[in-house]
Amino acid sequence: MTTNKSDKFNARTVLEEGKSVVYLSGELDLSVAPDFRLVMEPLVGDSDVDLVINLKDLKYIDSTGIGILLSILKARHSANASFSVAEVPTQIQKLFDMTGIAKFFEPQGNSQ
Amino acid sequence: MKADQTVTLNLPATADYVDIVRLNLYGIASKMGFSYEDIEDMKVAVSEACNNSVLYAYGQEGGLVEVIFGVNGEELTITVKDEGVSFSLPQEKSDASTLHDKELHDVEIGGLGFYLMQALMDDVSVASESGKGTQVILTKRLTRSEEKV
Repeated sequence: MTTNKSDKFNARTVLEEGKSVVYLSGELDLSVAPDFRLVMEPLVGDSDVDLVINLKDLKYIDSTGIGILLSILKARHSANASFSVAEVPTQIQKLFDMTGIAKFFEPQGNSQ
Repeated sequence: MKADQTVTLNLPATADYVDIVRLNLYGIASKMGFSYEDIEDMKVAVSEACNNSVLYAYGQEGGLVEVIFGVNGEELTITVKDEGVSFSLPQEKSDASTLHDKELHDVEIGGLGFYLMQALMDDVSVASESGKGTQVILTKRLTRSEEKV
């Protein structure tokens, strides 16, 4: 199928004063998981720079997407590097609460 | 909508088509009068069922996933069927696992999908027969006096 994936899901990285902010939009599901991993890989590995994922325009996330966030949490935690999520929509926060991933983002999403 | 009507989708078991299931679900569930929140819950649950078929049913050869929306008056039943290798269920544990009682270093990636199906639907049943594939049946009942879409 020739769906334009960037219509469906987009990850835009903005460098702001010593931190990388990744703005996600659209639907983060199994079909775009490899693209999302690819975008995040170098950012996750750079432990000198704070990492924030902004979810304001994310419409949907599945367990694959939550699993990727979890693996980022683990990697950043073991590198003693900060990672947080910002502007989480209500429906997505509900899934974070249900699965239990929410507690790893607190307080203020800092992994410290 | 009249009672006992069905809509059936036959899709390639690839990740690219799971959003098509969500779009159809949205159409049918909003016609039935489900609330926005219930529809969002069902979207997640039905996608997790489809993900299982996409990831585990067919290996390299590929195959089909059949999704049947059963409209029964006050109840929507969504059946997700494949004819591939059945996936193993988290039955040993009393319930599908969450991260609530775990520390970050103990957390294993994966296994959340089945938990989400159970948490977001009224009923979930899984029938899996060796060589005959897997069938997941998800049920959501209409609750009245909620905001309609």
